Amino acid sequence: MKTIGKDSRVDDPMADRRSGIEEFWRLLKQNRLAMIGLTIFGLFFCIALLGLVLTTGRNPAFDPAMVRLQEKLRPPLSRPNLETLRPEEVPRLGVYLFGTDDLGRDVFARMLQGAWVSLTVGFVAVGISVIIGIFMGGISGYFGQNHPSMDTLIMRFVDIMLCFPSFFLILTVVALLPASMYNIMIVIGLTSWMGTTRFVRAEFLSLREQDFVTAARALGVNHWRIIFRHMIPNAMAPVLVSATIGIATAILTEAGLSFLGFGVPPPHATWGSILSDGKRFIFDAPWLTFLPGFAILIVVLSFNLFGEGLRDILNPKLRERY
Amino acid sequence: MLSFIGRSIIQKTITLFFVSIVSFLIIHLAPGKPSQVDPLNPKFTPEIVERFRKEFHLDKPIYVQYVYFYRDLFTGKTVSWKDNQSVLGKIWERFLNSLPLFIVGTIITWTLSFPIGIRSAIFRGGLYDRSATFFSYLLISVPGFFFAYVLIIFVVTHFHVPVIGLKTFGIGDASWLRMIMDRVWHLLLPSVLGATGGIAILSRYVRSQMLEVEGQDYVRTARAKGVPEEQVHYKHALRNALLPFVTMFGLILPGLIGGSVIIESIFSWPGMGRMAYEAILARDYPIILTVNFVSAVLVLAGTFVSDLLYLVVDPRIRL
Amino acid sequence: MTIRRVLILAPTVLILFLIQSYLWVPTYEEQTRGNPDRLNEYITASIGDASILNPILSADSASSDIQSLVFEGLIDRDEELRFRGRLATSWEIYEEAFFYVNEDASIPGVGRARAQEVVALIRRAKAGEIPTDPELETSLANIREISVGPAKNFLVTRYEKKNEEDKTPAELKIQVSAPARIKLVLDAVDQDLFQNLSHILGKDYFSSFNGQGYLTVDDERWQEKRTKYAEKILPATEHNPIVVFHLRPGVKFHDGHVFDAHDVKFTFEAIMNPKNLSPRIADYEPVKRVEVVDPLTVSIVYKRLYSPALGTWAMGILPEHLLNDEALKKEAIRLGKDPEKFSMRQSRFNRHPIGCGPFVFREWKSDQYIILDRFYDYWEGPPNYKHYIYRIVPDLLTQEMEFYAGTIDSYNVQPHQVERLRDDPRYQNFSGPSFGYTYIGYNMRRELFNDPRIRRALSMAIDVDKIIDYVLYNQGERITGPFVKQTDYYNHSVKPVPYDPQAALRVLEEAGWRRNKEGWLEKDGKRFQFTLITNSGNDLRKAVLAIAQDAWKQIGIDVRTDLLEWSVFIQERVDKADFDALILGWVMGIEPDLYQIWHSSQTHPHQLNFVAFNNSEADDLIIKIRQEYDHERQVAYCHRLHEIIAREQPYTFLYVAKWTAILDKRIVIKETDRQGNVMYKKIKPTKTGNFAFYFNKWIKLPEAPGFAAEG
Repeated sequence: MKTIGKDSRVDDPMADRRSGIEEFWRLLKQNRLAMIGLTIFGLFFCIALLGLVLTTGRNPAFDPAMVRLQEKLRPPLSRPNLETLRPEEVPRLGVYLFGTDDLGRDVFARMLQGAWVSLTVGFVAVGISVIIGIFMGGISGYFGQNHPSMDTLIMRFVDIMLCFPSFFLILTVVALLPASMYNIMIVIGLTSWMGTTRFVRAEFLSLREQDFVTAARALGVNHWRIIFRHMIPNAMAPVLVSATIGIATAILTEAGLSFLGFGVPPPHATWGSILSDGKRFIFDAPWLTFLPGFAILIVVLSFNLFGEGLRDILNPKLRERY
Repeated sequence: MLSFIGRSIIQKTITLFFVSIVSFLIIHLAPGKPSQVDPLNPKFTPEIVERFRKEFHLDKPIYVQYVYFYRDLFTGKTVSWKDNQSVLGKIWERFLNSLPLFIVGTIITWTLSFPIGIRSAIFRGGLYDRSATFFSYLLISVPGFFFAYVLIIFVVTHFHVPVIGLKTFGIGDASWLRMIMDRVWHLLLPSVLGATGGIAILSRYVRSQMLEVEGQDYVRTARAKGVPEEQVHYKHALRNALLPFVTMFGLILPGLIGGSVIIESIFSWPGMGRMAYEAILARDYPIILTVNFVSAVLVLAGTFVSDLLYLVVDPRIRL
Repeated sequence: MTIRRVLILAPTVLILFLIQSYLWVPTYEEQTRGNPDRLNEYITASIGDASILNPILSADSASSDIQSLVFEGLIDRDEELRFRGRLATSWEIYEEAFFYVNEDASIPGVGRARAQEVVALIRRAKAGEIPTDPELETSLANIREISVGPAKNFLVTRYEKKNEEDKTPAELKIQVSAPARIKLVLDAVDQDLFQNLSHILGKDYFSSFNGQGYLTVDDERWQEKRTKYAEKILPATEHNPIVVFHLRPGVKFHDGHVFDAHDVKFTFEAIMNPKNLSPRIADYEPVKRVEVVDPLTVSIVYKRLYSPALGTWAMGILPEHLLNDEALKKEAIRLGKDPEKFSMRQSRFNRHPIGCGPFVFREWKSDQYIILDRFYDYWEGPPNYKHYIYRIVPDLLTQEMEFYAGTIDSYNVQPHQVERLRDDPRYQNFSGPSFGYTYIGYNMRRELFNDPRIRRALSMAIDVDKIIDYVLYNQGERITGPFVKQTDYYNHSVKPVPYDPQAALRVLEEAGWRRNKEGWLEKDGKRFQFTLITNSGNDLRKAVLAIAQDAWKQIGIDVRTDLLEWSVFIQERVDKADFDALILGWVMGIEPDLYQIWHSSQTHPHQLNFVAFNNSEADDLIIKIRQEYDHERQVAYCHRLHEIIAREQPYTFLYVAKWTAILDKRIVIKETDRQGNVMYKKIKPTKTGNFAFYFNKWIKLPEAPGFAAEG
C-alpha cells in the first residue's frame, strides 16, 4: 500500500535533513503511477528528439514526406514490394513498421516527426503561458499592496479572459489567422495563462509576508532581485504541476484543432493530424486511426499522471495529513 | 447582502463591456471577410462585393461598426450574414437543442462522480482508489473525437442502429413512447462522451474534498465516540464535504457552449457549439460575436450564482 | 444507510434507463419492414446546410440542390446535354442588327449614300445583282427584312461627378440629332454580319462613323468626353439577339397560382433590382429588355452578342404574385418593418419557397434537415417518392455510419468507400465524370514561371495517372484543357503531357537550371524554390499537394507547401495574386465561355485569371466563342483555344474527378405505361454521367427486384 507519500515523513527522522531534490526523488519513487508517467514522458522526449534528427534534412533517414502511391495503405509490419520501388524509396528498416498511409508514406516516419512537433507545440505553448502567468501574477502579487490599481487591473483582465470559452476562442483565432505551427502554439499559450497568474499571485501574497522576504527587503535588495531570486523559486511548485498538465492539454487541444481542420498544417505531421487524416480510412486501414490515437492517449496520460504525482509530492499539506 | 449584489452586478457589467470590446477587436483585426460573397464564384463581380460591404457597414471605421453591432444586438435586430436570420432567434433555437444534451450530461456527471469519488476516498490508496485514479486520467487523456469515432463505429457495426442526430430519420408514425425513447437513445452517446471529462475531474475533486473533511477534528471525534464507520463517512463527513459543490452549480452554466464543438459536429447535433463552429468557417461575424457575448454572460452569471449560493450555504461568510 | 443506497441506486437506474432506450430504436431492416412509409421517403445527406432558398439570391451548392427540386426553369439540359424545354415548350433565336447610316463615307461604286440608297444596295446584293464572296452571301441570305429608322432628335440626361469626393453630380444635357438607322432582321445570329457587309459598303464604312458629330453637350467641362458618350449613345453598329420562349400552358405554382410570362419578366427584374444584391446579376446584364408578348410568350432582347445567354434561363422562375412590391410591402407591414428598406432578401419566402418544380417545400430546420413533399400537380406528373429529405450531416465518416444504419439513402461517398462497397450485394454503385477539374496553377507574374518550357517541365514531373489510380481509385480521368470533357467543345486530339522526369530535367537544363552538389536545381546561384499552396478541408487537394511536393523534390526542386483556410486562401492569396503556385479546381458550366478565367483583361486583383494568362490569339478566340451562336463554329474555335492553352500550360491540368454514388439495390426506376402496367428498371447513369436524371421516377421497393438480362 504505497501511494502519495503516505506517512513517510513522520516515520523517517532523517527526512528533514535530506536535500530537497533527494527528498523529492524518494517521494516520487513511492508513487508508482507518477513514476510510470515520468518514464513514459522521458521515453517520449527521447523519441521526439530522435525523430527530429532522423526526419529532417535533404535525405533524412526516415522521410515522412516520401510518397509511394503504389504502396498505399499497407498494414503495419508489412514488407515493401521491392520490384515497384526505386532504391531510394525503400523504407530504412526494410519493413513498414507502422504501415503506410493513403499516399504510401511511412507512418512510422510520420509518427517520429509528429512526436517532435507535438512535443514542441506542447512545450512552447505552455512556456508562453507560464511566462505570462508568472509575470502577471508576480507583479500583481508583489506590487499589489502598494499599487492596488495595478493589481485590480491585472485581475480584471484575468476575469475578462476567463469569460471566453477557451476552446472556442482558440478555434476562432486560429481559424482567422493564417495557419502555421507558430500561430497555434502562440494562441494556445496566450489563452491559457490565467490559471497560473491566479495562483502565482496567491503564492506571492503569502510569500511576501514571510520572514526571508522581509529580511531581503530590509537589506535593501531591489524588487526584481527579490522576485526572481527569492520568490519565484519558492512559488514554482504549483506552476510546475500546472505546466505538466498544461502540456497534456495543449497536445489534446492541438489534436482537436487538427480534427476540425485547423491544426498544424503540412508538411509538419502531428499525431493529431495523422489521426484526423486517417479517420477517413478507419475501415480500410484502422492503424491510421488507432496508432496515433493510442500514442496521444498514452503520452497525455503519462503527463497527467506525472503532474498528479508532482502535485501530491509538492503539496506538503496533503503529504502531512495522512 | 444587497450591497454585495449591487457591487457584483456593476463589476460584472464592466467586465462584460470589456469582453465585448476584446472580442470585437479579435474578430475584426483578423484577415478574412464575410463569405456570403464567395470571391471564386465567377458570378460575383467586385461591385457586388462592394455593395455587400456597404450593406453590412463594413466600410465604416471600426468603432462605428462596434456601436452599430451592439446597438443592433440589444434591439434584437442583428441578422446572420449567412442567411439573414435573426441571430438571437437562431441562438435560442440552438440553445434549446443543446439543453437536453447538457442536462443529461450533467446528470450523468453528477450522479456518477459522487459514488466513485466517495468510494475512492474511503478506500484511499487501495486497488479501487488507484484504478479509479488511473481511469479518471485515462478519460481526461483520450482525444474526444477519437473516442467518439471508436464508440460510433462499435455501436453501428454491432447493433445496426442509428446514433447520429437528434432522432432516427424515417421512423415514421411510431408511438409517442417510442419516439421519446428514440430521442433518449440518440442522447446517450453524445452526452456520455461529453460527460467523461467531467466525471473524471469531478470524482477526483469529490475524493479530495472527502479526504480533507475526514481529517477534520469533528470526524475524528465522531469516530472516537464509536459511531459506525459507515455513518461517519456518509453522514458526518459527506455532508460537510458537499458544501463547496453547491457553489459549483453556478459554474457549470458556461459548459453549455464551451466544449461541445467537436462532439456536436461528429454527432451532427444542431446545438450551439456546432453553430458557432460553422459561423467561424463562414466568417459569420454576428453569430461569432453574439455567441461570445452570450457565453461571457453565462460565465458571469454563473460566478454570480455561485457567489450567492456560497452566501446562502456557508453561514461563516457574510459579506 | 439511505444515503449510500441512493448514491448507488441513482446512477444504476440512470444508466439502465439510458441503455434500455436501445431496445426502442429500429435497426436497418426494421426501418423498411416495420414502416412501409419509409419506402416512400428518399433521404440524402449533405455536409453543409442551405443558406437561402431563393434561386436568384443563393450561391451555394446545398441551396441549389433544393432549388432544383422546388423551382423549375424555362429550359434545362437533357441526357445528351442539349437544351430541353421545361416551362418553355419551345424557343427560337433570331437577331435584330442596327447600323447608323454613315453619310460621310463613300461606298465603292456608289459614293456617298443616304439610307434608302444603302438599303437598295444591300437588297441588290441579296438578290445576287452584285458580285459577292461566299461569306457575304451567307450573311445576306440570312437577312429576313430590312427597314429604315428615320433620323430623329432627342435629349439625353447624364449625371457626372467631377471627382470621387463630389457628392452632387452635375446634371448634363446632351442634345442628340441621330441620323437614319438601318435595321436588319436576321434569321440566325451572325457575328460577322458587319464585317461581311463592309465588303460592299466599304472597308471603314462602320469604323469611320463619326458619332460625336451628332451630339451637342451643353456644358463645356465635359466636351472632351464626347467620344465616350457617342460610343454609348450612338454606337455605329449594334447586334440585338432575341430569344423568344413559348411557355407551357397550365403549369401551376405549388400554391395553385398559374404560371405565365409575367413571372419570367418578374424574375428577370428581381435579379436586376440592386436592392436584392443578386449574385446572378452578371449573367443577365447583357439583357436589354424582357417583353411579355402574350401570357404564354416572352421575348428577351439582348444588348449584344452573348451566346451563353440561353443557358441562363435554366434558372428557377419565381412566383410574381408572392414577391412583387405589393406583396413585399404587405409582408413588411405585417412584420412591423420599414417597407422602404424591406427587400426580397428579408422575405419569409427564402425559407418557405414556392416554385413550380416537382417537390413542394415543407419544412426546414437549420443544420438538421429540409423536407420536401411531392407536388401532385406537377406538369410532368408527380414524382414517385412522396417525400424528399435533405439531412445535414457535417462529417463524412458519420454519413457513412448513418448509411449503414439505414437512415440515409445516399451520401457523399468517397472513392475508397466505393471501392470497398463495390461488391456488396446490398448496394448498387455508379460513377461518372463531373464538370469540375483540378489543376496546379502557376503565377506567371513571377519570373520563375513565365517560361512555358518550365511550366511544361513541372507538369512532366508529376505522374497524374498514378494519382488517378491510387488516390482516386480510378474514379477520375485525365484532362488536358479547360472545357467540360463530356461536351464536344473539348478537344480530344490534344495529348496529355507525358510523365517523364528525365525529359523534364533536360528541358529545365535547356532553360539553365542545373543540379548542384546537394542535388537541388540551381541557376545563377539561385535555387529553384517556390511555395505551393491550397485550401484546407479538401483531402484530395491535400494529397495532390503532398504528391506534387514529393515529385518535384525528386527532380531537385525545393517546394514549400502551405495549407490555408478557405477565406484566407482566397482573400489574402488568390485575390491579391500573392502566390507562386496553387492547387485549385474549377467547376465548369457547360457553356464554353472562358472570358472570366482566361481573358487577359481579367488579371486584376479579385478577378479570376489570377495566374495572369495572356495570349492575344486566345483572347481573340475567347471573344469569338462568346459571340458565336452557331454550334459547329463555336466547337472549332474551342478546339483551337484548347490547343493554345494546352501548349502554354498555364496550369498543370490534372484530372476530372468522377462523382460517385452508392444506393441501396432496392431503389429502382418505376415507370407506368399507358395501359397502367408497372415496369421496373435498373437505375443507369446517362451518357453524360448523370445518374439522378430520372430521379422523379425512382422508388424504393421492399425487395430488390430481379431484372431481365439487359441487351
